[in-house]
Amino acid sequence: MSDKKNNFEYEEFVESFNPRDDETPLCGVETAIHRGDAYQKATGAQKYVADLKFPDMIYARMIRAQVVRGKIKKITVPALPKGYYFITEKDIPEGGKNCLNMIASDWKCFAAGEVRFKGETIGLLCGPNREQLFELEKQIKIEYIEEEAATTIEEGLACKGGAFVNDNNIHCQLKLEMGDNVDEIFKTAPHVFEDTIETGYQEHLYLETNGMIVTKENNKYILYGSLQCPFYVRKSTYTLLNIPIEDVVVRQISTGGAFGGKEHFPDILAGPLLVAEHKIGKPIKLIFQREEDIEYSVKRHPSKIVFKTATDDEGNILAMDSIVYYNVGGYLASSYVVLQRGCFHIMGCYKFPSARTRGYGVATNCYPSCAFRGFGAPQAIFAIETHMSHLAKHFGIEPLQYKKKYLIKQGDTTITNGKVVEEVQCPKMIEQLTEASDYYRKAKEYGYGSYKGIGIAFYNHGGAFTGNGESAIIKGRVRLTKNANGTVDIFCGQTEMGQGINTALRKIAAVTLGIPMSKVNFNAPDTSIVPDSGPTAASRSTMVPGYLIEKAAIEMKERWNSEDSFSVERQYQHPEGYPWDQATFQGYAYLGYGWGCAIVEVEVDKRTSEVHIKGVWSSHDVGNCIDKRIVHGQVNGGIAQGIGWASTELIQNINGKFKEKSMSDYIVPTSMDIPEQKVFFANSPYEWGPYGAKGMGELVFNGVGAAYIDALSRAINRDISKIPVPSEYVCDHVLHGTNSCLIEEKK
Amino acid sequence: MGVNSYLPKTLKEALEIRKDHDTIILAGGSDLMVGAFRATGVTPEFDKDVVIIRNLPELKGIKKNEKGELEIGALTTSREIASNPDVPWILRQAAGKMGAVGLRNSATIGGNIANASPKGDTPGPEYLLDARVVVESLDRGEREIPVNEFVLKLKTVAIEKDEIITKIVLPYGDDDFDNFFYHKIGRRYANAISKLTLCSAIKFDGDVITDFRVATTACGVKTNRSRDVEKILIGKKRYEIPSLIDEVNAQYEALLTPRAMPEYRKYSTKCMISDFLMKVSNNTAEKFNE
Repeated sequence: MSDKKNNFEYEEFVESFNPRDDETPLCGVETAIHRGDAYQKATGAQKYVADLKFPDMIYARMIRAQVVRGKIKKITVPALPKGYYFITEKDIPEGGKNCLNMIASDWKCFAAGEVRFKGETIGLLCGPNREQLFELEKQIKIEYIEEEAATTIEEGLACKGGAFVNDNNIHCQLKLEMGDNVDEIFKTAPHVFEDTIETGYQEHLYLETNGMIVTKENNKYILYGSLQCPFYVRKSTYTLLNIPIEDVVVRQISTGGAFGGKEHFPDILAGPLLVAEHKIGKPIKLIFQREEDIEYSVKRHPSKIVFKTATDDEGNILAMDSIVYYNVGGYLASSYVVLQRGCFHIMGCYKFPSARTRGYGVATNCYPSCAFRGFGAPQAIFAIETHMSHLAKHFGIEPLQYKKKYLIKQGDTTITNGKVVEEVQCPKMIEQLTEASDYYRKAKEYGYGSYKGIGIAFYNHGGAFTGNGESAIIKGRVRLTKNANGTVDIFCGQTEMGQGINTALRKIAAVTLGIPMSKVNFNAPDTSIVPDSGPTAASRSTMVPGYLIEKAAIEMKERWNSEDSFSVERQYQHPEGYPWDQATFQGYAYLGYGWGCAIVEVEVDKRTSEVHIKGVWSSHDVGNCIDKRIVHGQVNGGIAQGIGWASTELIQNINGKFKEKSMSDYIVPTSMDIPEQKVFFANSPYEWGPYGAKGMGELVFNGVGAAYIDALSRAINRDISKIPVPSEYVCDHVLHGTNSCLIEEKK
Repeated sequence: MGVNSYLPKTLKEALEIRKDHDTIILAGGSDLMVGAFRATGVTPEFDKDVVIIRNLPELKGIKKNEKGELEIGALTTSREIASNPDVPWILRQAAGKMGAVGLRNSATIGGNIANASPKGDTPGPEYLLDARVVVESLDRGEREIPVNEFVLKLKTVAIEKDEIITKIVLPYGDDDFDNFFYHKIGRRYANAISKLTLCSAIKFDGDVITDFRVATTACGVKTNRSRDVEKILIGKKRYEIPSLIDEVNAQYEALLTPRAMPEYRKYSTKCMISDFLMKVSNNTAEKFNE
């Protein structure tokens, strides 16, 4: 307690999220207002977990396996000075389980015996002095029996080195069919084309690296962390110590970006910290360095999607079959759900007479893949859009004209044999964007191979959890409390990570109640205080918890004058009449999709193969904008991130090891790389969302990569089937590429 | 474990420290501190004592010497170089496209040549303009070394243990050539390390080429330049350029030894040289070309 000034005051911290300077009454949800967290973050005043200190706090370094696949033969730890500890699976108390409960519980907290990928946690080295920890780490010797590893989708499928998951290295699989049997159609169709589309890893590269502190207060374990889903962390880790779930309390600390990378991944820090806390009993802090965070954290799943499409002589699509492979890595964790979402989005915004898809999550000796903005949908959408462009080119049809014919409409059947519930706004988006971008003139004028190109893509994203998951699995609850002084507290587990949810949810309550924003408090969640409103993920936070807040606020308003202080709680109910069977994946997968269209124009420098983006036009159906500036921020960021995924963000896993490890190696676009974007909306209000709003955080990422690649492919007259494409790859396409990669099946 | 740090206030003090101790020089620190970083809360690691020279007033600023040559103090930052109109355009381009704003405010021209990285931004224009590196020691005073002799190999320069780089002298400026070319291919359009950079300049007397130069960085262990290749054009007429481009390219390509992306780097170099020379030959080149 000597250095009180530097000690962390949790109450002070949570209070700081609720600025008191905004007394302006709001006229509606769309109007842009100052974000509650903006000033502190912009000025650098905001504290993050790395800034926090506790009395007697010690530090931890994560010790990781350095082989790609093998068995741990022997761990030799040097004599540790007093106050230093090396925590491993041996420190898990009796009755505790060495696993982290993500969606599956296969990812081990500590590697024990077997090593499935480079970077698997072996132990936590803890002690008061970071210099000494750094030196001690070098003295820990781990001997392995190395084994042959499988690190690509192909090697995983071939069971290189022997299968390590089931007998075929398939972590998970599913199959979906609609219409007639595609195999029968292929037999008689005039043409059958095969097309293989691949996407690479993507690193989240949130500004703030992962970090967490564990302490013990009143016999409960408290985890302070940079994270998206406090309740996920609690569920994932309590079984390690075999204690009641309530004895693990998770408190979110302001989070400097996440993008899905802090959905399940914080469990990797929380688990070992919890075991260490059980043994040591002092506050322990674990912060990843940037290089450590890039090399040893989850990424977007690399994918390989093989289409087989039957057409007539004019190019009309008769049936489409696809096989979707995602590189899952060493453990399943959340990947089955990622693969499902990928397969549910495999038809993109289109409807074909008959379709089938089969998805496989492939086990490899790579760092496990996990959630990343889009959660499996972007890979599928990139693939279908790119395949459609290839088909259009093959039949000599302008790509937009070709794609337009197949756009799905309200009431049409989806790949899960449900229907599209809302009116699809893609036709309106085409009008907005072709006019704004002068698409038709440019498409004709640039043609193929002029080093100028314009490209277009359509995309959607099913909002919230699939099917009836919101009511069957999540059962999200929120609570509003009116205080005697006329202020209102929101109790809800959604986390602010830069996306603006703190402002959006407070705004929904304030507008509904007709009170100023300054009267509505919404503190960073603490699992011992707020009800579990579900994860901040799946584009659900505004759509579902936001809706519950609106409903609770409506009731609160009715009782406002008659009661001084009271609470209203709401739990989500799935609307009647839209069935979903999670066992067979049949029915209404999503009641509210976000829809989007993006046009990208590029010019390629003939000399250097550098790609200059000349324009980006996008239109989205987000139901309604809860705050126009926040939504614009999401559009700008999602589009920049989507272009990065398709262009410069190359991260290569070579024989199980990531090659790009720093921010100067891993190239995310800057504002110099992306021009000012033209942003449009074509909103179709969602019946069960607050003020008609539906999910949009992931939608805005999903399709622009395909539009960029369409533009680039046209500019250089080469089919591009694999992303990312940094300039040296563009050059390679120009020199050695093909201008048609469709393979026609011989009859 | 543990080294001494010296913080001299004058050049003389700094040279005394260099004479008496085995030291490594830290100027802007934008490269050295990254290399020495180990972990948060852990002292950076240097294998020698460190002399921090960034405050020496004698090594700052840009001025003309009595011969009319530009002298750039070794501690002049990239930002200062990029925004000074007395500095040749091509060097301003290189300095202005280096890293991010924060780095340009810290990185120095002396450090950028001393670290002898083939991907350094300012050495390309320095090679092209026959820059001389001036080093000073207490015992032997000043000596001048042409930049291409100063850089010996990857991460190694011809500096003695008791010397400090004091300035870079540029014998040529914007008026000495008719056309310049500078193009940095970064991995993105800002805050990027060079993937390939081409610098070139050409001068005519009437229709006769009196000088031609070309230098490439990030395409081998050192900046590439060869007077023999340049002589292919010198003395030739403007209209003869198109017929000589292939020969220039073929001989120039033989100098390039890129470790990664060899085809891309060689092909892009060839395309940029061809593009610049074609524009020069048909009189469509600007004074400054990118």
